[in-house]
Amino acid sequence: MARKYREIGKAGWGYTAITTIVGFIYFSPVFWIILTAFKTRRDALAVPPKLFFTPTLDNFMSVFYRTSITTGNSQATDMGLYFFNSIFIAFTSVGLAIILGTLAAYAFSRFPLKGNDTYLFIILTTRMMPPIVVIIPIFLMFRLTGLAGSYWGIMLLYTAFNIPFSVWLIKSFFDELNPEIEDAARMDGSSERRVFFGFCIPQILAGLAATFVFGLILTWNEFLFALLLTGVETRTVPVAMARTLGGEVGVDYGLLAAIVTLFLIPIFFVTFLLQNQLLRGVTFGTVKK
Amino acid sequence: MADVAKKQGGFGAWLFDPKRRGALLVTPAIVVLFVMNIFPLMWSFGLSFFNYKASSLKVPTFRGLSNYERVLSDERVWERFQTTALIVGSSVLMQLVIGFLLALMFAKVFPMRRIVLMLVLTPMMLSFVSVGVFFKLFYEPTFGIVSYVINFFTEDHFVLLGSPGGAIAGIVIADAWMWSPFVMLLVLAGLVSVPKYLYEAAEIDRASKWRTFRTITFPYIKSLLLLAVLFRTIETFKLFDIVYIITEGGPGSSTETIAVYLYRTAFQFFKTSQSSALAYIVLFIVIVLTNLYLYAVNQRAEEID
Amino acid sequence: MIKRNILSGLMGASVLAAGLGGAPAFAGDITITMAAPDWPPTRFMKEYFDQNYTSPDGHTTTLDMDFIPWPSFYERVAASLTSGEQKYQMIVTDSQWLGAFVEGGYYMDLTDRIKADPELSAILKDLHPALVSAYSTYPHKTRAQLEELGDAPADGVHYYGFPQFPDTYVTYYRQDIFCHEGEMAAFQAKYDTNLPCSYEDWQDTDWTKWGQVGEFFQREAGEMLAGETLSDDFYGIAYQAGKGYDFSTMQVNGFVWQQGGDIWDETVKGAQAEGVVNSDVAVAAFDEYLSMLKYMPPVNQTGQMDIFVIQDLFMQGKVGAIIDWVGLGEPVLDESASTVHDKSAFGPAPGSRQADGSIDRTGNIGGQPFVLTTWNSDEVVNEALNVVKWWLSAETQIEAVANGGQSGLRSVMAKSEYNGLRPWNRAHVEMLDWQKDVWHIPEFFELLTQQQEEFDKAITGQISAKEALDAVAKFQQDLLEDGGYIE
Repeated sequence: MARKYREIGKAGWGYTAITTIVGFIYFSPVFWIILTAFKTRRDALAVPPKLFFTPTLDNFMSVFYRTSITTGNSQATDMGLYFFNSIFIAFTSVGLAIILGTLAAYAFSRFPLKGNDTYLFIILTTRMMPPIVVIIPIFLMFRLTGLAGSYWGIMLLYTAFNIPFSVWLIKSFFDELNPEIEDAARMDGSSERRVFFGFCIPQILAGLAATFVFGLILTWNEFLFALLLTGVETRTVPVAMARTLGGEVGVDYGLLAAIVTLFLIPIFFVTFLLQNQLLRGVTFGTVKK
Repeated sequence: MADVAKKQGGFGAWLFDPKRRGALLVTPAIVVLFVMNIFPLMWSFGLSFFNYKASSLKVPTFRGLSNYERVLSDERVWERFQTTALIVGSSVLMQLVIGFLLALMFAKVFPMRRIVLMLVLTPMMLSFVSVGVFFKLFYEPTFGIVSYVINFFTEDHFVLLGSPGGAIAGIVIADAWMWSPFVMLLVLAGLVSVPKYLYEAAEIDRASKWRTFRTITFPYIKSLLLLAVLFRTIETFKLFDIVYIITEGGPGSSTETIAVYLYRTAFQFFKTSQSSALAYIVLFIVIVLTNLYLYAVNQRAEEID
Repeated sequence: MIKRNILSGLMGASVLAAGLGGAPAFAGDITITMAAPDWPPTRFMKEYFDQNYTSPDGHTTTLDMDFIPWPSFYERVAASLTSGEQKYQMIVTDSQWLGAFVEGGYYMDLTDRIKADPELSAILKDLHPALVSAYSTYPHKTRAQLEELGDAPADGVHYYGFPQFPDTYVTYYRQDIFCHEGEMAAFQAKYDTNLPCSYEDWQDTDWTKWGQVGEFFQREAGEMLAGETLSDDFYGIAYQAGKGYDFSTMQVNGFVWQQGGDIWDETVKGAQAEGVVNSDVAVAAFDEYLSMLKYMPPVNQTGQMDIFVIQDLFMQGKVGAIIDWVGLGEPVLDESASTVHDKSAFGPAPGSRQADGSIDRTGNIGGQPFVLTTWNSDEVVNEALNVVKWWLSAETQIEAVANGGQSGLRSVMAKSEYNGLRPWNRAHVEMLDWQKDVWHIPEFFELLTQQQEEFDKAITGQISAKEALDAVAKFQQDLLEDGGYIE
């Protein structure tokens, strides 16, 4: 039943060369950012723009240690903590959203409730609305519950933002499975738990991976909620990144580029590993409602 | 069965009755959504009828529909809606064209495809902030690489962000660059779902490339394209950081989107209630768009089935 | 069973949440958490505090600075305050925010404490009156009003803040080109007046000459500048003309005040906006401001020429002179960031020539005071005030100035070594005497945003100076009437 992954043509190395050129043109702004990470401020703003220069690792150093230009003293920046926070918060909340989303999706797919479609629509609507619509009341709610500045607060919030997307995507994977196999298993005396964990979940692992990547991309760079709702200890990288945007000088292009480059590595890596699943996920999620 | 279970296990068995299995499984997700999304939504809906300011100690009073009246009769709001529509329209169009072309390119299997594809996917993983900052630098008339290149061909300095049209173009280019890969993924999904035998049949019929595309490929990607349009429209509607960083809404107010204006009202002016009213008008529009989106998805599903 | 499990689970979660919130403090230990923008003057305060501070009351005091990036500083502080998390004991604040956050009940009125404490009273008396007016008073009192009321702390005035970093804008200029003999002679021949080279020359520079400098040094790539061939276009002058935050209002206000115009004056009962903000004098002043943009780097056409952009243009050697905050001076001298680190000098900012030949340099004050918050125990308040006294002691202030800070204490500024500590100090002290401040009322952000937008339209050539100021005046009049400031 599951649709096969099909290609519409094969091509050789000549084609690779062409696509690589196009790919590099598309990638060039990113390449320029990475290049900037190795430049001094003078090189970063040089006219004409410099493609060749003596690379420096100073920017990467100052991601973690900053030297005061007045006193020359060096201070740790806590950026290590912010990287930890970003990874911890994003992975946990996307993971939580997938767990809750899988349960709900399984129910929507196998045990439809009265008004199933209405529930699904309401869930989707919450994902579609601009975050600023809820930021004011969330802000007030966090103020009353004391969630502001805690890991719990921001993680629950991100979880909530990832649930709708997860439910919809994962439901479409369940819909693709053949329920007859499950029924056969039930006849053989398998418990509901075994049907779920033993038959259904293994078959949609690729889909879950795709959902994970999508959720991660959408959560990874979130700025507004992180800025307003995290505290000193729970601050994430996108918020800390803002320190490079102005202070005693304007944008510190080298430092910003260095942070961006480092911050790109984990998500790039995860996406690369799960790339095939990502493509599969998109196909499934949109082909079926 | 159920009665026996109820007697034996009390509440636990009642809860785990197979009749309630669906509801039970859905509950955790709904609870989180309710607490973090739906409840705040209702709260702000309530606020939109008062004159509450988050920065003030004054007790809010009921104002009925006057916040909605104020917002809807504010010329500036309409101007911002128009700006938003213009930016959304041109950005989504550009994402569609680029995304479509990229998808055609990656629809074939070729060596190192995985790696080349990553080159194109990376922009999506950058933060809005860094995309905004660096595109602003690219456009800067003295230091920017874009201006530097174009200055070879022009007499005067190339100042993209100096005019309303140029500023909108600057924002659209940055946003479209970032999100075209997303459209590409959707279109690619459509392209790979075209059954191979159809192409083989077309080849036997010696149909022209254009005819093959029009009669075989296009029907399969049509609804996916529509879906891409709607999904990106909804997302671009929220565009904030890129605008705020590249132009701050300028020159004048020519690139001030509704999202930027909403942010100013809520967090700089602390007109909490008024911004809630505006937010609800925005949400209404988004719900209409969501319905269109769902309609498109259903169409697609029917076609496949 | 299940109910109990849920309950204990909830309790577990709340215990965990409390645990994440931090460990309880021991008696005698005081932690003062301070919201501070992330930049050298506050970094220095933290560093020096850690090395140097001992509590006179015998506490073990920790100054826990929450360094927040400048661009999101306002939003973060505003969010913290209005969310009621009560995290900060002290806050570095822009002077314009005083109204909003005093009215919100977040900033502590220090008047009674100052009156009861001779040391604090002495500090207040020693502070430059322009700073007391701008940084401390709400409702806002002008310097003239304060002087009329007598020695600080005066009756009927409410005091809130103390200077953390008092800032003014001064002229940064390239000594190598302004003191180049060939250029000086050519300038003299063209305009029949001297090219400003020394500090004293800048003391005699008005806007007319500033414009001439701009015209004179506007050169294209390939032309000569100070004996060298230019590889890139060069510009004579630049000042802030950006849409963000307050990046044009600060400079435009200076022009308006110097020429005898005014902004809406909240310190005078019944002051109007319409007819004042868009008076003929104000329009002429704004026109003069706009007229010089054509001599500035091309980024001026975008309305994005903010204080950082002109700083970068100066540091990369693209512009001869800029008017910018003292607080942005340090990187100019930094070799790794600046190509002009060994060629830069500083003078007072230009002003408007008056009928008697003197120059009026009235400017809009920058910099930040710091304040206390309202939710702290007496013990914490007393210790926070000890920190204030420590920071505003002569030794700390001299040390801060030597490390790129500025002092607002007249006794410190009068010290013979003061002007030599940093190259811009002399200009800063001279400019400080000319400072006034923009509005302090809670609605300042609305006033500011609308004004910046209209100014931006004029700067990018969409409307005229008169149209811009008419729109500003009308908006302000309506808003202030709504708010009950104008009857």
